[in-house]
Amino acid sequence: MIKVENLTRRFGRTLAIDNLSFEVKQGEIVGFLGPNGAGKTTTMRILSCFLPATGGKVTIGGFDVFADSLEVRRRIGYLPENVPLYTDMRVKEYLNYRAVLKGLSGKKKKQRVKEMLETCGLEEVSGSVIGRLSKGYKQRLGLADSLVHEPELLILDEPTIGLDPNQIRHIRNLIKSLAHHHTVLLSSHILPEVEMICERVLIINRGRIVASDTPGNLVGLMRGAPRTIAEINGPVEKVREGLLKIRGIISVIHESDGDWGRYLCDCEKDADVRPEIFAMASSCKWIMRELVLEKRNLEDVFVEVTTEEKEL
Amino acid sequence: MRNLCAIWRRELAACFLSPIAYVTMVFFLIASGSTFLVGVIKNAGSNVFLTNLLFASVVMWLTVLISIVSMRLFTEEVRSGTIEMLMTAPVTETEVVLGKYAGAVTFVLVIVAPAIANIFALAALNPSIGKIDEGAVVGGCIITFLVIAFCMSMGLLVSLMTKNQIAAAITCLCLIWIMLFLGNIVSAFPFMPAKLVAYLSVLAHVDEFSRGSIDSRPVILYLSGSAFMLFTAVRVLESKRWK
Repeated sequence: MIKVENLTRRFGRTLAIDNLSFEVKQGEIVGFLGPNGAGKTTTMRILSCFLPATGGKVTIGGFDVFADSLEVRRRIGYLPENVPLYTDMRVKEYLNYRAVLKGLSGKKKKQRVKEMLETCGLEEVSGSVIGRLSKGYKQRLGLADSLVHEPELLILDEPTIGLDPNQIRHIRNLIKSLAHHHTVLLSSHILPEVEMICERVLIINRGRIVASDTPGNLVGLMRGAPRTIAEINGPVEKVREGLLKIRGIISVIHESDGDWGRYLCDCEKDADVRPEIFAMASSCKWIMRELVLEKRNLEDVFVEVTTEEKEL
Repeated sequence: MRNLCAIWRRELAACFLSPIAYVTMVFFLIASGSTFLVGVIKNAGSNVFLTNLLFASVVMWLTVLISIVSMRLFTEEVRSGTIEMLMTAPVTETEVVLGKYAGAVTFVLVIVAPAIANIFALAALNPSIGKIDEGAVVGGCIITFLVIAFCMSMGLLVSLMTKNQIAAAITCLCLIWIMLFLGNIVSAFPFMPAKLVAYLSVLAHVDEFSRGSIDSRPVILYLSGSAFMLFTAVRVLESKRWK
C-alpha cells in the first residue's frame, strides 16, 4: 500500500528525513514512533501530498504522491496533528462539506455523514459550533472527517492526543475494527496503546528508521539481560550464594527491606530461573513473598533505540 | 465543479460569519453613502451626472472593502492550519482558487448592491431629480463589477503570497491605489502617448461607464487582468506542492 524509497526532506540546512525507506502492506496497522522532531509529522505530510520531498520516491496504492497527487488524495484519509478545523462551522455542516470535497453526494453522502456522527460519538454535538467544542470532540470530528469517504489508507498523526481514557479506548477499538478493510499508519507517543493496536512498529530517530518489527519481536530483540526479582526472608549472604549457584543467573544485587531482602538477579538471555529460585528457597525453608520476571516493554525498546545510536 | 461550488459556499459563509465582515459592511455603506451625499450637496445646481458621483464614491471605498475581504482568503487558512486539511482533500488548486475568489466576489457584490441603491432612495426622497438614467446605472454597475473582479483577483494573489493578514491588506490596498491612479502616474511622463493614459485610467473608465457609455476595451482589460491574476494564483498554490 505504501512504498517509501530513499525519502529525503530538507528544511533549509536541516535534514528532517534522511534516506528513509519502508513499506506498509494492505490491511496492516502500523505504528509510527519516534521522539519529538524525529520526522514523523514531516513523513506523514509527504505521504498525504501536503509537503513535497527533497529526494526519493513515495507511492501509495501504486500512485506516486508527486505525479498523481489527486489520485493519492482520493485514497487517503489524513488526520493532521492538532486537528485544524473551521471553527466557525457547525459539526454536521463541516462533515457535509468535507464529504462533498471527498467526492460523496446524494444518499451516499447523507448516509456516511450519519454513520460517522454515530461511530465517532458526535450525534449530541452535531449542531454545535466547532469552536466551542472540547478538544476530545474536535479530535473525534477530525477522525470522522478522515474516515468519511472510506479511504483505503488512513494516516493519523497522534489520533488519541487530548482524549480521556474512555474515549481513547473507544477510538482504539474503532481503529482496530478498521484493520481488515483499511490500512492504517498512526503515530503516537502513548506506547502501550501502540503495543495494543499495531501489528508492526516503525521507530524513527533523526529522520532514519532505527527499528521495524512487531512489538513482540522488538521487545525480544532487546539487548541487556532480563531481570528476575525475588523477595526472600533469609540470611543475606547464604541467599546470595545460593542464587549465584543457579545456572543462568549472572549477578545478584541485594536491597534490604526490614527483615526481607530484595534480590535483583540479572540473568542470561532467555533464561527463566524462577522455578530454581523457588525450589532453592523452599528446600532451605526460607520464606518468599514475591518472585517476578521483569517484562521489558515497547517503552524500553523506544528509549534504547532513540537515545543510543544503535540499530536493532 | 461540485468541489468549486462547495468551496464557494463555504467561503461565502465564512465571510458572513466573521465579525470583520459586518464591521466593514457597515463602514463601507456609511462611508460610500456619505461621500455620495457630500458630492450631491456640493454639486447642487451644477450640471453633473448623479450616477458619476455615485459610482465614483462606491469605487473609492471599494478599495478598502476589497483589501479587507481579500486579506483573509489564504492567510487565515495558513494561520489556523486548515490549509493542510483543504489541500490534502482531493481538490485541484484551480477549484480552491476559483471557489474562494467566487465566494469573496459574491460577498462584496452583496455589500455593494445597497450602496448603489442609494441613488434610487435619493430620487424617491427628492421629486425634483426626476427620472434616473437607467443606462447610466447599468454602465456604472458593469464597471463596478469589473473593478471588483480585478481588485479581488489581485487581493487573492497577495493573500496567497503573504503570511500576515495586515501585511496582505496593506499591500493589496497600495496595489489597488496604484492601479486606480495608474493613468495619472503614466500621464506624468511626457513621453507616454495620451492613448495609453486613457487605456489605463481606471477613474476615467468609471467616469465614462457611469455616463452610460460602455466601451468594450476596458471590459477586456479588466477581465483578462483578472484571469491572469487568478492563473498566477493557481500556479503559486501549485508550486507549494513541489517547493
